Amino acid sequence: MIEFLDVSLPVIVYVPLALLTIPAIKAARKRGKWKNILNFCWFLAVFTIAGATVANLALKYYSKQTPQPFLNLSLIEGSSAIFSSMFLVDAVSIYMVIIFTMVGAVAFIYSLFYIDFNEKFSERYYALMLMIIGCVIGTALAGDLLTLFIFWEATAAGSSFLMLYQKTAESLHATLKYLVMIVIASAFIIYGLSVIYALTGTLNFWAVKHALISLADKHLLEIAFIFIAAGYSIEAAVVPFHMWLPDAYTAAPASSSAFLSALVDQGSYYVLLRVLIYILTPQTVLPWTSMFAVLSALTMVIGNLLALTERNIKRLFAYVCIADVGYNLMAITSVTPLGITGNLYFFLAGGIATALSFMAVGIFNSKGFKTLNDFSGVGRKMPLTSLALTVATFSFIGVPAFAGFMAKYLVFTSAIEGNLSWLAVIGVLTSIIQAAYLLRLISYMYSKKISEENVKIEEPKKLLIPIFILAGAIIALGVYPEAVLCLIEPVIQQFPFMP
Amino acid sequence: MQNTLLLTLLLPTLATPIVYLLGKKSARASSFLIAFICIVDIVLLFTLVPKIFSADHKYVESYYWIQVLHASFTLFVDGISFSMAVITLILILTAAIFSINYMQERRGLAEYYALLMLLSVGLVGVFITSNLMLFYFCWELMLLPSYFIIGEWGYREPYRAAFKFFIFTHAGAVFVLLGIGAIFMVTGGLDMFQAQTALMNADPELAKWILLSLTIGFAVKMAVVPVHMWLPDAHSEAPAPMSALLSGVIIGAGAYAILRVSLLTVFPAVSATGFGKLFLHGLTVFGVISAFFGSLIALVETDIKRIIAYSSIAHMGYVLFGLSFFPSQEPIIGTVLHLVNHAVSKGLLFLSAGAVMKQLEIRDIREMGGLAGKMPITAIASTIAAFSIAGIPSFACFISEFLIFVGAFQTINFDNFYITPIVLMLIATVLSLAYALRFLSHVFLGSARHEKATDAPSFMKSAMIILAILVIVLGVWPTFFIQLITTVSLVQ
Repeated sequence: MIEFLDVSLPVIVYVPLALLTIPAIKAARKRGKWKNILNFCWFLAVFTIAGATVANLALKYYSKQTPQPFLNLSLIEGSSAIFSSMFLVDAVSIYMVIIFTMVGAVAFIYSLFYIDFNEKFSERYYALMLMIIGCVIGTALAGDLLTLFIFWEATAAGSSFLMLYQKTAESLHATLKYLVMIVIASAFIIYGLSVIYALTGTLNFWAVKHALISLADKHLLEIAFIFIAAGYSIEAAVVPFHMWLPDAYTAAPASSSAFLSALVDQGSYYVLLRVLIYILTPQTVLPWTSMFAVLSALTMVIGNLLALTERNIKRLFAYVCIADVGYNLMAITSVTPLGITGNLYFFLAGGIATALSFMAVGIFNSKGFKTLNDFSGVGRKMPLTSLALTVATFSFIGVPAFAGFMAKYLVFTSAIEGNLSWLAVIGVLTSIIQAAYLLRLISYMYSKKISEENVKIEEPKKLLIPIFILAGAIIALGVYPEAVLCLIEPVIQQFPFMP
Repeated sequence: MQNTLLLTLLLPTLATPIVYLLGKKSARASSFLIAFICIVDIVLLFTLVPKIFSADHKYVESYYWIQVLHASFTLFVDGISFSMAVITLILILTAAIFSINYMQERRGLAEYYALLMLLSVGLVGVFITSNLMLFYFCWELMLLPSYFIIGEWGYREPYRAAFKFFIFTHAGAVFVLLGIGAIFMVTGGLDMFQAQTALMNADPELAKWILLSLTIGFAVKMAVVPVHMWLPDAHSEAPAPMSALLSGVIIGAGAYAILRVSLLTVFPAVSATGFGKLFLHGLTVFGVISAFFGSLIALVETDIKRIIAYSSIAHMGYVLFGLSFFPSQEPIIGTVLHLVNHAVSKGLLFLSAGAVMKQLEIRDIREMGGLAGKMPITAIASTIAAFSIAGIPSFACFISEFLIFVGAFQTINFDNFYITPIVLMLIATVLSLAYALRFLSHVFLGSARHEKATDAPSFMKSAMIILAILVIVLGVWPTFFIQLITTVSLVQ
């Protein structure tokens, strides 16, 4: 039986871990040449503990396949439970927690070496990063709209510090933009939530859903939906609310961009998925599909066109993130089991690929290669990093034998299945644009032949470890996607039983 | 043996890292390893010939793969697949041997040979799978190694040509993906043979869109005229062994895919409707346009490799023309045989053009001439290849073109639309004779201009000799392949 503690442990374990990280890394830094090994040991300790709590939860959930696969666990038992904070465990949240922990670990070890290597040093950065991982996991496990809101806003607030880290004028400006957007978004969401609470008298996912299905007059719900949808769309950077993302990701240090794109971005898609499909289910509660289909098309087209004209490589990958939002939205809009499979697979494949590209671009940036023209010939100067970036780009393009292919395939197929063939065609056409600008980057990287002044540049070996873990994962997933799809399969089986 | 086909795919896959490591020590050794693996694969495939001639006419192996999508790792061979796969392996073998001398002075040969080995996995895989997902995997696996081979070891502005190649064929491929997704949605599975029966019960309107989407995607790879723009650049800038593969099998794979997926799998669902007929007539028209376009430009082009590249477009026009007589037996047999014959002949022509380019280091045919005395083996090989391309009897392509036309004339009996295209197509074959002779006379005949030119080194020669013998053998005794292809029944 899963207790409340089992569910909350993966979240709260990060509080002591984050607090201990500051003295631990400070102590390690004084040890001179042992520093890296000690840092690495601390990293192992942190993620062994965190991983153990996740494994405990997952094993307990899957060991006993109860007839009701959606487990609601509240802080207060009894009749007032419906008003308390709630956790929800189902196959989706378990899956999200697992991938957040794994991708978070790789992003963490990259920043451990990267910040040390490039930036002004501060231990608080790592503590903050761990707190954010905890908050994202809390978001994935949340069982009522308020808990979801609290954890998600905490994630967003924490993210702003990661963006701010370099404290340059540019990053201050970008963070300010982000914070303003986030504050507006949370105001919208709070307003929407209060309307929903007034309508239903509860904020628990299933209670809300049941109350809404039997709701006679849906005008008020539509207003609430507009606010909530706008709020979460701002945080997920859906076009036309995307303006903060390129600035924020470009201004942040590469380790932050990698972390944010791999965890926080995917978290925002998760929130959209949970709220739109599981609570505001189109068939029974609210027909919102056409609206989000248009937003998805806009996001794909604008995101990819902006990337096509962009010459700053880091910013280009930020636009790729926006395009990814569009592809994710397409699968959400289809509201099919296949679409959810596609989404969940995309969270991992897209998260890994964006993280990998930001990590590799971070190394290039630190050597002074920033724009497309700088990148000409880097394939010969820094072969390993270039290889990793090439793997990431092929995954984005959606070439088979790379993880991104299966993600795109599932997304397009689900759109056809959900009677949105026109959206699938737009997706395919924008995917060609994506192939064009990413391939242009590869052509720049490799086309210039090696010459006298074109000598090899030493690549930071330590940073290549996490990079090649992710590159290996992309190829492994590409060749054998079943490894992850089998984790997602229970979700499909649960889909028709959704309460 | 139980796992023959799996072994056929696994061998080159597993050999890729070995080829790479071996190539670091000795490039020659890794090219021999590729040749050896190709021979083993050919032998493995030949062990399946009795199964193809048995009552089932095909041999299937199935393995566990992606459960959620009902995609199993299904491999199969029938007469058509077998012919295409064997010819692919022979071309890769000769390309590897040819590369020993041809690529000698280039850098990064370990990577080159590893990519060549990987390319063979994709190429063979496309022909021997009946699962659409695996098919798409292999389809794109042809693209990646080719992109890097053209980009890294090509001529002039190689990455530009490679970029064009990748974008065009990838754009085609995503339409294929859309079609495959729709097939999965309609039939709930991804196996071609099951999809065929399941699609018969589907909405013909939807089947029509699936058919169009798939065919457009495949036509890009096949370089049919409005979407052929990538071909002349990619073929002429690639190193000669790669050009041989591109022109021989990669565009042939497009034609194979149109036959296997568009026509055999999806087309039966729409054949009863008016659209079915319209679709076939459309193939005819584009076939004729491609044949004329390719031949006419080949007649005026002066770059040695571009002539051959445009001739490939013309020949894909013949193939498309032949496919448009589906489901009559003779033209389809002729078409598949033409894919095989064209692969060998065009491969040989590209290799010999590469040999000329390598020895002379020029590529404009107006600057060449009189090479027959200086490079006798290359000259003979080119002549055999060019005669075959021109459709002269006793050389390979003649028989297949003949079969296509014989079948085509029979079709006139019940569809008089075909009269004009057939006449036009006959004119196009005259054009192909013209450009083949122009090519030969400019390069090899006339007064000798290059006193110092010598014949190609021995490995290049032997690669050309293997293919030249094959062209003649296929021209005089095509029976084996015809029998193989005949076993495939076109109407279920």
